[in-house]
Amino acid sequence: MPQTRKFAKSYRLLVIVFGLMAAGVLVKWTVRASSSEAPAWMHALVGVPVPDHDEKTDAVLLYDEATLSVQPNGKIKQFTRRALKILRPGGREYATVVGISNSERKLLGIRGWCIPAQGHDYEVKDKDAIESAVPNVANGELVKDVRAKILKIPQPEPGNIVGYEIETEENLFNLQDSWNFQWGIPVRESHYNLQMPPGWEYKAVWANFAEVKPTGEGSNGWHWTVNNVPGIRYEELMPSWRGVAGEMVVSLLPPGGAKKGFESWADLSSWSFTLANGRADASPEIKQKVAELTAGKATTLSKIQALANFVQRDVRYVAIELGIGGWQPHAAREIFGNHYGDCKDKSTLLSSMLKEIHVDSVLMVVNTYRGAVTAQSPPQKQFNHMILGIRLPDDVQDPALEAVYKDAQRGRVLIFDPTDEITPLGRLHGPLQGNYALFVMPDSGQLVRLPTLPPASSGIHRRGDFTLNVNGALTGNVVDMRYGDPARAQRYLQQGITKKEDQIKPMETLLSHSLGAFQITKASIGNLDLRDQPFQYSYTFVVPSYAKTAGQLMLVRTCLLGEKSRDVLEKKEARKYPVEFEGPQRDSDKFEIAIPEGFEVDELPNPVDIEYSFGSYHSKTESKDKKLIYSRTFEIKELTVPLANMDELKKFYRIIASDERGTAVLKPAAAKVGDAGATSH
Amino acid sequence: MVSRRVAVSLRRIFLFMVMVLLAALWFVKQPVGADDWQPIDPAELKMTSEPKAPGAPAIYLYRQVDRKETGRTTHTELNYVRIKVLTEEGRKYANVEIPYSKAVTGISGIRARTIHPDGQVINFDGKIFENTIVKSRTQKYLAKTFTLPDVQVGSIIEYKFMYDFADYYIYFSQWVISANLFTKKADFALRPYERYPVQWSWPAGLPVGTNAPAEGSDHVIRMTSIDVPAFQVEDHMPPEDEIKYRIVFVYSEDGFESDPDKFWKEFGKKQFDQTEKFMDRRKAMEQALGETVAPGDSAEEKLKKIYARCQEIKNRNFERKDQLAKEEKYKPNESVEDVWKSKEGTGKDINLLFVALSRVAGIESYYLLLSGRNEHFFNQKRMNTKELDANAVLVKVDGKDLYLDPATKFAPYGMLPWEETGVAGLRLDKQGGTWVQTVVPEASECETMREGDFRLSDDGALEGQVKVTYSGMLALQARLAERFNDDTQRKENLEESLKYAIPVTAEVTLKNKPEWTSSDEKLVAEYDVKIPGWASSAGKRVLLPLGLFSGAQKHTFEHTQRTNAIYFHYLFETKDLTKIALPAGWKIDSLPKEVHVDAKAADYRIAAEDKGGSVQVTRTLKSEILVLQANYYPTLQKFYQQIRSGDEQQAVLRQGESSAAN
Repeated sequence: MPQTRKFAKSYRLLVIVFGLMAAGVLVKWTVRASSSEAPAWMHALVGVPVPDHDEKTDAVLLYDEATLSVQPNGKIKQFTRRALKILRPGGREYATVVGISNSERKLLGIRGWCIPAQGHDYEVKDKDAIESAVPNVANGELVKDVRAKILKIPQPEPGNIVGYEIETEENLFNLQDSWNFQWGIPVRESHYNLQMPPGWEYKAVWANFAEVKPTGEGSNGWHWTVNNVPGIRYEELMPSWRGVAGEMVVSLLPPGGAKKGFESWADLSSWSFTLANGRADASPEIKQKVAELTAGKATTLSKIQALANFVQRDVRYVAIELGIGGWQPHAAREIFGNHYGDCKDKSTLLSSMLKEIHVDSVLMVVNTYRGAVTAQSPPQKQFNHMILGIRLPDDVQDPALEAVYKDAQRGRVLIFDPTDEITPLGRLHGPLQGNYALFVMPDSGQLVRLPTLPPASSGIHRRGDFTLNVNGALTGNVVDMRYGDPARAQRYLQQGITKKEDQIKPMETLLSHSLGAFQITKASIGNLDLRDQPFQYSYTFVVPSYAKTAGQLMLVRTCLLGEKSRDVLEKKEARKYPVEFEGPQRDSDKFEIAIPEGFEVDELPNPVDIEYSFGSYHSKTESKDKKLIYSRTFEIKELTVPLANMDELKKFYRIIASDERGTAVLKPAAAKVGDAGATSH
Repeated sequence: MVSRRVAVSLRRIFLFMVMVLLAALWFVKQPVGADDWQPIDPAELKMTSEPKAPGAPAIYLYRQVDRKETGRTTHTELNYVRIKVLTEEGRKYANVEIPYSKAVTGISGIRARTIHPDGQVINFDGKIFENTIVKSRTQKYLAKTFTLPDVQVGSIIEYKFMYDFADYYIYFSQWVISANLFTKKADFALRPYERYPVQWSWPAGLPVGTNAPAEGSDHVIRMTSIDVPAFQVEDHMPPEDEIKYRIVFVYSEDGFESDPDKFWKEFGKKQFDQTEKFMDRRKAMEQALGETVAPGDSAEEKLKKIYARCQEIKNRNFERKDQLAKEEKYKPNESVEDVWKSKEGTGKDINLLFVALSRVAGIESYYLLLSGRNEHFFNQKRMNTKELDANAVLVKVDGKDLYLDPATKFAPYGMLPWEETGVAGLRLDKQGGTWVQTVVPEASECETMREGDFRLSDDGALEGQVKVTYSGMLALQARLAERFNDDTQRKENLEESLKYAIPVTAEVTLKNKPEWTSSDEKLVAEYDVKIPGWASSAGKRVLLPLGLFSGAQKHTFEHTQRTNAIYFHYLFETKDLTKIALPAGWKIDSLPKEVHVDAKAADYRIAAEDKGGSVQVTRTLKSEILVLQANYYPTLQKFYQQIRSGDEQQAVLRQGESSAAN
């Protein structure tokens, strides 16, 4: 019941009421467009033919022009001019323009226009934009100096043309730029202009697109054009965007300048090394901690493990990326003092600590989207993560250390990601496997391919024993052991659970994918925190009507649990890009079902044996000792399935889907039903 | 020589300056109470878990919100937070973000520290960053952001800060008691602005053991809560505001009426006068009516024609906001005549036009103020007029009440949008109005009918056509959801919707062009469908699952644990009729028995029949639940499990001589 308190009314109401919620604020943002004419370059695009597209294309990029000019003071000015034709309601999003600035990059201007199919033009300017730099505290990225100026162009209706211009001035850390001319929508024409002072040179490298030669302009100006570039539409499990989208990377080479664009991976490596150099020097506190952590550890490996475990789990991931801080690690002493840091910091601190036990290590940069950087990629800063390569001393010989890169120059290098708090030393999270990483070294940094672990290192192995009663109720228990990434996924899920009683929910979800009605009567989790051990679920459950009756028959689905099939290729449109799996995997299931007294096996599902280069699937159901015994193995052997194998992959998944629904038929033991006798395979 | 008078003045000036300096130093040093941290119980340092919150990553050991709304000066709110970190996951609470509006709020006196289980204190002396959440010409929302150092499992995180509110601003205060973490103890205090009456309420009740806020002799309202569970978000739960423990404070210039009936009568009279004035254009309405109905029309025919005419008027509430933003010259309507002439208006304008026209047509008609139940459940005793946030119309037809909302685009005649059903409404009249209750549509008025006509092929695939008819509320919902999309997107969404209903991979192609822009009772979609591997073989037998349209229930209420009540927007019913023609030579070996589950408020039935060369499956699901308390959840969960079990049943077929399904 509410209570009321009264006061005398004496003043006019000057109360301005609004709720500023501690959790966030709502912003009403109204664009005040003026009706100024759109510029001539946009009007010239009215009526031009649009590039080829299908009915699902939201918009087309009619015109794209990027101009990079090197100023006499060495700063870089970039001018972008774009115009798009909105084709569908979904294309309205292209009328939201984002200008980015940071401590080194100044946004000089942003303007936008709309030419409606009917009526007058609209214009919006800087003052109509909003600014935002929403921090991402939840994921640990605490502070960045990146600011976004967001401009909404009015009237982004189908049939209308929207366009904008953005001008920036930047003090580049490296004299390198990339022209990203391929979009998710078709591009009619895209231009890149390069204006350099006399004496400057450039090096252009193309990726995922046939090279186009430039034309010269002025004293030291160059111009590139591409036309009718098809759009890249998202497909599930497609390779990284960077790995398929056309781009040109331009490195600027001033005469005699120390600061220049990267001509090789070694250049980039050397630059990264310079930034990190000296940062791993150990403080007395670090030395003391190393001594404390390694005290009583007899072997080098056990010492490495102790230090890795400390950095992985005790140093909290927090990213504070200001200016060069996006590329440069903090000093180890600072990271240790705060007990927090980002991926660069965690790698640097571990490197510092390892040095104290005379184990060498080398920082490595990588892009967590496999395929974003490949052996064919132009050398550029396309890395978003730092990990550590630990040079294994000769006395460290343990087959559990699977994530080992070997070469003649560096010997055995254990690849370790201290930011990944769950994957233990010796293993590697799927997206990093088979990925390309760059050793951060003073002069001979090299892009190398990270190891791909054997399929057996990652997988789900279930063993289940069940009893079926005459009413069709199934009772039994399952031991579900998970290795590698499946273990990581469940540990991650469990970490996010905030109530002990909710720990059962992931198990219920797993079961609900295969069973309609069930009741878990007992459940436990094993090795949740022992991350070098397999993660384990054990659950006992009852399925009241598992076997269905049909006349005198009893129908029993033999693949009780688990979904290996995927509908990734069940689309109307033809697949355009290869399928990229997260990582190799080998799963196995074995379920034994004791059949009820008075019943015998009448029919069994057919066995399945499929072998492809990318994967295999084998399953069978046997009848033995009054039991139905279902067993299967599922294996992903290759990380990428090329387009040529899409039909095989589709068939692969369809056969698995069918097998997962395979049903055994039981009949009363004494009865003669039809002409079929009990069979076993 | 210095005169005595001057000497005295200098001394006074000196003393005054010393006092100012001391005062300034005091304010600088003591912005939030400097280092007056609350004492720490040694048991809290040692604790590794909280028995009342097992598994919690962290808990609030203590929270304090102490607000002074004194209006002109010292208008502040002290926030004090003490968190115990219990797991690695809980360390994330060491990242602190304090949002605020630059225009009317400042933040001062941020202090923070980490305390290790051994009692070691690490004061925060790092940088406090200021992040821009959003900044525009008129608004600037920022956040003070920092992270505490050396936070480990077992650490206590502690911080405090002061919100400094601008002078002359008064806020509707709210104490949010339910937090994302379990709270061991929380103290709240508010010294309200004395010049305006304030009222407070607790819409979702109070936590067990918490006494209602009480005002002390110092005019400060206080409350202490102990052991408040963490707030949990769940599927199908009522609006958060309805279930989160919170105290809402409301000021009013006019004061509060202690008798809710009197309060609403007074409010209703004002509203009545305003709306009557808006509708007072009889001559114009008579002319408009003449253009709308025929003289010989019955009352109901007239109403339907007026309804259809009003639905043609552009409702600005249903337009995209960025579309409206460009129309700077829009002039709000001042009367129903304006609405009629401009053919554009707000939802309220359109409903008032409907009332005016129907009255001129001689039909008893009322304007209704409603409380939508999408964000909160109305309680008239709270006397919060803002909760009457929707409107509709009540007409008398043949002595019966009929609720209409012509302003809602695509709403069929006689159908209100779901949020306006089953809610209290104030029917305005001269006396201030009468409370009425809108009707909750029957489940049959929110029906999905799926008719499938398939052929089973030798390899177990199904191929055929499906016709889906959405009726009443569901047709309205679908049209509203798709109103900004084009036909390509609508087609894709409809196809995805049917794919979702089929529990396995299916190829679905929409064949017809559904009527998206009308207010028809029904929305019909027709598809070609292919389902590979629907039937599976076991030796010479083929097993045909019955639950072809069971996908939507596959994961509904799959968990046994439930904290919050269950909330459905409307009652609903689905009827599925599937006919599957068998390949030549195939026979039905056996069919499962009919399954019927009657759970009173919900009903499910699935049955298969032999139709001579084909199997016909009939499946119905009816839900007549709007709100169900959490203690009934096990029954509801069991019901949905029985549905899934029923859907898993299979018909046993016998193949012909040369067939082989995979």
